Amino acid sequence: MGTFKHLMLASMIALGSAISPTFAQDLIIGFSKEGETLDPANHRNRETETLLRNVYEGLLTRDASMKLVPEIAESYEQVSPTIYDFRIRKGIRFHDGSDLTAEDVRFTFERILKEGAMGDGQTSPRQGLLGPVTGVELVDANTVRFNLSEPWPILPAMLPNQQIVSKAFVEKNGTAGMATQAMGSGPFSLGEWRRGEALILNRFDDYFGGSPEVPPVGRACVDRAIFRTIPETASRVAALLSGDVHIINELPNSSIRQIQASGVADVVEVNGTRSFFLAMNMQGEIFDDIRVRQAAAHAVNKDLLIDKILGGSAARIEGILSPDAFGASELPQVGYDVEKARALLAEAGYPDGIDITLDAEGAYRDMAEAIASMLTRAGFRTSVAISETTMLTQKWRTAGGPKSGDMWLSSWGNGSLDPFDIFAPTHATNDRGNSAGYSNPELDKLLAAAAIEMDAGKRAEMYHRAEMTIVADQPYVYLWVPRDIYGVSKRVEGFHPSADSRILLHDVCLK
Amino acid sequence: MNPAKFFQRLLQLAPVLLGVSFIAFMMLAMTPGDPVALIIGEHAATPEQIETLRRDLGLNQPLLQRFASFLADAVTGNFGTSFYHRRPVAEVIGERLPATIELSLVALIVALVTSIPLGVLAAIRKNTIFDRIATLFSLVGVSMPGFWLGILLIMIFAVNLQLFPVAGRIGFSHEVDPITGFMLIDTLLHRNFAAFGETLRYIALPAVTLGLPMAAILMRVTRTSMLEVLQQDYVTFANAKGLKPRRIFFRHALKNALIPTVSVAAIETGSLLGGNMIVETIFGWPGLGRLVVESIFVRNYPLVQAAVLLYAVTYVLLNFIADILYTLLNPRVKL
Repeated sequence: MGTFKHLMLASMIALGSAISPTFAQDLIIGFSKEGETLDPANHRNRETETLLRNVYEGLLTRDASMKLVPEIAESYEQVSPTIYDFRIRKGIRFHDGSDLTAEDVRFTFERILKEGAMGDGQTSPRQGLLGPVTGVELVDANTVRFNLSEPWPILPAMLPNQQIVSKAFVEKNGTAGMATQAMGSGPFSLGEWRRGEALILNRFDDYFGGSPEVPPVGRACVDRAIFRTIPETASRVAALLSGDVHIINELPNSSIRQIQASGVADVVEVNGTRSFFLAMNMQGEIFDDIRVRQAAAHAVNKDLLIDKILGGSAARIEGILSPDAFGASELPQVGYDVEKARALLAEAGYPDGIDITLDAEGAYRDMAEAIASMLTRAGFRTSVAISETTMLTQKWRTAGGPKSGDMWLSSWGNGSLDPFDIFAPTHATNDRGNSAGYSNPELDKLLAAAAIEMDAGKRAEMYHRAEMTIVADQPYVYLWVPRDIYGVSKRVEGFHPSADSRILLHDVCLK
Repeated sequence: MNPAKFFQRLLQLAPVLLGVSFIAFMMLAMTPGDPVALIIGEHAATPEQIETLRRDLGLNQPLLQRFASFLADAVTGNFGTSFYHRRPVAEVIGERLPATIELSLVALIVALVTSIPLGVLAAIRKNTIFDRIATLFSLVGVSMPGFWLGILLIMIFAVNLQLFPVAGRIGFSHEVDPITGFMLIDTLLHRNFAAFGETLRYIALPAVTLGLPMAAILMRVTRTSMLEVLQQDYVTFANAKGLKPRRIFFRHALKNALIPTVSVAAIETGSLLGGNMIVETIFGWPGLGRLVVESIFVRNYPLVQAAVLLYAVTYVLLNFIADILYTLLNPRVKL
């Protein structure tokens, strides 16, 4: 036994001596997903974009309040409803020391827009994100012009999501090489990509400083920024508590108290951009009656759910738009009122209540069960059916095709915070995200007109009218926009998460 | 061993693999969920853009034609392009496979080193307190879910005692140029002993989490079969001859008692390779299991298809190896 003890002791010491101190200036983020590729033009994945935006930058970006501000562009102007000119900032360098030019910008967008421009006959999967942009051309050495086939007021709002690449670098490495190599103009350059494990970024000392409108301007504070992939939530929380990592994303509501009580980390929240709602199948017999839909809306106590299940980390909504979105306005509240819900249900011909099924994906099981119990109390005897996201999407987002099912706890993202890519998709007749199967020709016309209205004031007013229409028709029970929650070590200073899930690390320091 | 028999057995593997490929291909194709719709997500796309993407992913061809071209390419080692990584599937899997194999082998070592001595001792000291404790250990090991054990180990050894890291394969202060892809071997080849120690620290918790349930099973198998062997006439005869107990146990009994252990270990190793997705997820281990499960969720057909084939090959080969080991351990068994 004595030998065994000695052996144990010796191995403990050996292991202990192997613990080498992390660099004082290594900022480590425990991140829920790995990037799919390092090529900013060859993916459609939000997490990949989050990672890449520390290496690459866009023509425009957003400040912490989500306001659009110039980044690689110095300024921009709308020449006509279908022409935008962007002046490129001088003095921006790529990580190899070469200058970022207007030609690089033109090349970046041509690579995304043109059929087959990715090489091997392949087209960028991001082409659709540029809507009616038909081409990009140089006006002079420092000005790039975007030509559109029709007015598209949200072009600026979509530009922070497209990162500018170096033409020379792409031509040298090809699309195959771009998948694993990166060379942008962002605050960090690529150090090493340990596939499946971590993305290690080094500070870029010649960084131009970032948008002057998002202070502090200057090079990054830490030597290295490292994204460590930790998909399991409990492990991410553990890694933060043990000091292995300094920031974690997707902190679950259930861990907020644990983090706050730990003494080593804090909770930081930012408004999200994803609206949650209950889709009611209006093609079915039950929910084609507005009284039944109104009954469901009165049956759900949103405030209680936000408080108890989401830990208060969500903003209540009455229409589809997030309170931060363009055109969001004050709307009449559909109050929680069980008696009224029962009365409406009885009036609709269901005095003894009715059996329904609520579809939900596994991640929202708790929430779905809580909602089901509220609905049941109001006369909708609700059973919850848990299914995989992919299957639910196929079942409900039929774009006008026939659909089965009663009700779906669902959501729609709105990263641009412009109503354009959330309102019409979920409410226009037969649109791709119209899971309720709702159809109102008046609303269709209004949304189509608002999409191309160039006067911001008029456009906001149109979306207010649209919101009032859907509050009246109630195709969905509009629920909330959850906040994005981060766990942040007390050693971290200057971390301001952004609602579009950008994790900008250039102004984050470690104590 | 008869070489002709050996190759005959090897050839029998071909139809098995073909069948597995076909079933996997059809099951994937029949699972609801359109990869193209998943990639586009909530964003706008015109019908032309959707068609372009479908064509770029090779999904516009008829099903059987797709299977035929998969097979034709697969025999040349080309498994297509991953829908999401936009790189060759073989490359993506190749990056992850060493981490999974390394973890599985270390877990196997953990399992063998604990289970065989414990099993043998439990059999020799049947019905003593030691036997009962060992049996209890095996019962707990078999019944404990991997994710729970993993989180428990993390809470104790990473968060509270801070002895081991929570996630990853190695820390960021070390850079190890891959030679074999196996971190423990590469660090030694580079004579970077600090990195080797650190790698051990990173692999310890996941390997124990993965290895313990297997150890529990192997311990029970070893104990039972050792008990059986100890009842055999030749053991009684050896006893009667006056041989020392140690010689009887280790020279005569153990060799025969290990036959079932080897066979179970081989099968379990197969499932270690395929079934360690949970452990890889908990410990942020950059292995294949996690990648495959993520790929199933997003209907990344080429990657899943290749991985299923890889798992099938591994499983079939491990069984084959177990058969060969049988014949070596017990010459009466023939291939």
